[in-house]
Amino acid sequence: MDHFTPYTYFQCPCTDNSISIRNIGHLESTRADHDDEDERTFDPKAPRANFSLYPLDHLLYCEICHEIRCPRCALDEIVTWYCPNCLFEVPSSTVKSEGNRCTRSCFQCPVCVAPLSVNSEAPAPTGLGAEHAGPAGPFVLSCSFCCWSSAEIGIKFEKPNSIFSQLAKIKNGGDPILSAKQRRLDREERRRDFSDASIPEDAQEVLPLDPNEQLDAEAQFSNLKSFYQSQLADASPASALGFGGEYGYGSPGALTRIMGLYTGGGLADKRSQSKSTPMREACDATEGLQLAKTNADEDLAKLRREGWEGTVSKEQRCEQAHEPHFVSDLRPIAALLRTKRSKRCKSCRHILSKPESKVQNTRFRIRLLAMNYIPTITIKPLQPVLPGQSSLLSPMKPTQFVLTFKNPLYDAVNVSIATPSQTPGRYSSKVTVLCPQFEVGAYIEDAWDDVLREPGEKGGEKERRRTRAETFEGQQQAEAGKVWESGRNWVSVVVEIVPATVGPESGPAFLTEGLEQDNSPMKEDEDILEIPVFVRLEWETDPAHDDGLGAPVSKDKEAKVKRELAYWCVLGVGRIAQV
Amino acid sequence: MSKKPAKGEYIETDTGNKVSRKCQIVGSTNIILGGKTIIQAEVIIRGDLIRTLPSSRSASSGAAQSNVAVAIGRYCFFSTGSALRPPGKLFQGQFSHYPLKIGDHVYVGPSSVVEAALIGNHVHIGQGCVIGKFAIIKDFVKILDGTIIPPNMVIPSFSIVGGRPGRVVGEIPEGGHEAFDLRELYKTIKNS
Repeated sequence: MDHFTPYTYFQCPCTDNSISIRNIGHLESTRADHDDEDERTFDPKAPRANFSLYPLDHLLYCEICHEIRCPRCALDEIVTWYCPNCLFEVPSSTVKSEGNRCTRSCFQCPVCVAPLSVNSEAPAPTGLGAEHAGPAGPFVLSCSFCCWSSAEIGIKFEKPNSIFSQLAKIKNGGDPILSAKQRRLDREERRRDFSDASIPEDAQEVLPLDPNEQLDAEAQFSNLKSFYQSQLADASPASALGFGGEYGYGSPGALTRIMGLYTGGGLADKRSQSKSTPMREACDATEGLQLAKTNADEDLAKLRREGWEGTVSKEQRCEQAHEPHFVSDLRPIAALLRTKRSKRCKSCRHILSKPESKVQNTRFRIRLLAMNYIPTITIKPLQPVLPGQSSLLSPMKPTQFVLTFKNPLYDAVNVSIATPSQTPGRYSSKVTVLCPQFEVGAYIEDAWDDVLREPGEKGGEKERRRTRAETFEGQQQAEAGKVWESGRNWVSVVVEIVPATVGPESGPAFLTEGLEQDNSPMKEDEDILEIPVFVRLEWETDPAHDDGLGAPVSKDKEAKVKRELAYWCVLGVGRIAQV
Repeated sequence: MSKKPAKGEYIETDTGNKVSRKCQIVGSTNIILGGKTIIQAEVIIRGDLIRTLPSSRSASSGAAQSNVAVAIGRYCFFSTGSALRPPGKLFQGQFSHYPLKIGDHVYVGPSSVVEAALIGNHVHIGQGCVIGKFAIIKDFVKILDGTIIPPNMVIPSFSIVGGRPGRVVGEIPEGGHEAFDLRELYKTIKNS
């Protein structure tokens, strides 16, 4: 675990609200004057902190509210549904009716989740014109990762296409599944029999369906639903005419009943009093009754025969709709659809990002990224780590880091940063920002040419400065209150850190006073030195060409608008060597 | 083995490709480099695995088409020890290789093996990955270190893929698109 990349996470201001509920006045104090924030500093090691911290590229920016927007304060709207395997767009009406699975031929292996491909079981045709002959059936779904094949569960297909609909008709083992339509026809048959001969026992004899059959969840639901619908219809004759409609509103009979209810007519009341016959419950499989299996001998025998290998793992079971126990009960998993989503600001409903609706198109119509509005912050050690050297921070040894702010705005920004002098948590390190206030220059329009030509070109000036700074490094120490390096739109300042002693018996040096020593073993990543930094930006902008792209044009050119933005950041500096 | 400091590590072509002298390129006439592509040491590119089966739809122009085994776009980066192999399969009783197409700004990490059919633009493949035969990777995809992409897998745009077998584990955020740009990385490779 020697390798560590320094990182910067940003806390979306939306999370401050939840804190202010518990500590009223906190939000105001952090917003009003940042000097006050010593009272309450953000603790990056707090259990909840992880939920509010994001890398800069996850954040968006609302131009109307002038606020950072994180995934928690943006609303997602689905633009397109598509299958990740065949990349076909699925209309939302189909998603509603068929569910969120691909209904073509895209399946995942139930054993290892790799995609399945359709292969022919028949030998390749030979002889004259063989290259023009299509592959012959039967076809199987096979996994090229774990060599699972649908032949193992006894499923073979006649055609190589529309596997989904073919699979819906075959049980594991090859027996056909009755479709919903067939079941409905059967039920109608039965109902007719009911009306002919009122004794249900007689009617059941003519049924082609086995009353004790094992139904899958879908068939059981449809059977139950139709049974209770018919029961309701029988119980209230007024709605009998409306049977077939979803809620029974679709017929004149039902309508008069409902209107009777609202107009207070005695018609409905009389009816409801008269029908007191209790409803019958489902009594066999055709009506949706499934008796729980009390005799597990079959399963036990299978378990003995096939052993551990024959049972499914938890992951495999979670992917299946019917919760199987044995590998032989697994079914291919139809590919789950994926979406393209646009994002909206939760408070003003302004669109923050909107992708093109076409599946294959990767462009975005709108993309308001926070990185185009707030400075990027990078941290690196002042003395570069040599290849042989350990990248761990040595405890109690003052180390200097360079904090670089790069401004993406067209206006110069005044930046004030503040850190607690000691980082929160058990192992508290000392932090000193040598220059907490500075101005970062504007991102000048001319730079656009450089960007379009060669984005690295503008780095020429930057690099020169940096090398010069490095040559000075020998004689010149970082000076308090002064910027370390700066460029056209970036500023670097030096932060001095005295890492804490981390380990089972940590020294008393920087323990937070008032707390008794916590001797519990070190938690995961507790040796990472993270510094909370409160960043406050202030800048004046011309509302006409507001923060860059796509801003509304306003008439008064003279008035400069003052903007400010304040948020917490967390700098992951490095791991502290353990003693 | 005598080191020749006069010659740099890379051979630079007119279009800005930097090809390490220590890489193994077989069948170089069947490989197209779009330009500004970096091929590091110990990279293996199998340009000799050309298509032997005549294409059914372009029988006439097939002769010219089938000569390309590996097509690579601009600003690609192939790290040390990676391998590019055109995928092959048995089709109607005949075995044939099929071309491997790689778009722009594609990074392939150290000791990864690529046998995909198509890799789009702005794709990052980590270290020690295996991209299975005939896999299709669309634009803006990040494949984490040590992932094994099963054969025939299709990975849609803006996916983060990891695991063995590889599965989509996350989505590229809106602001993450610029991180795929390899122009800066190209400039860091100096011929020395």
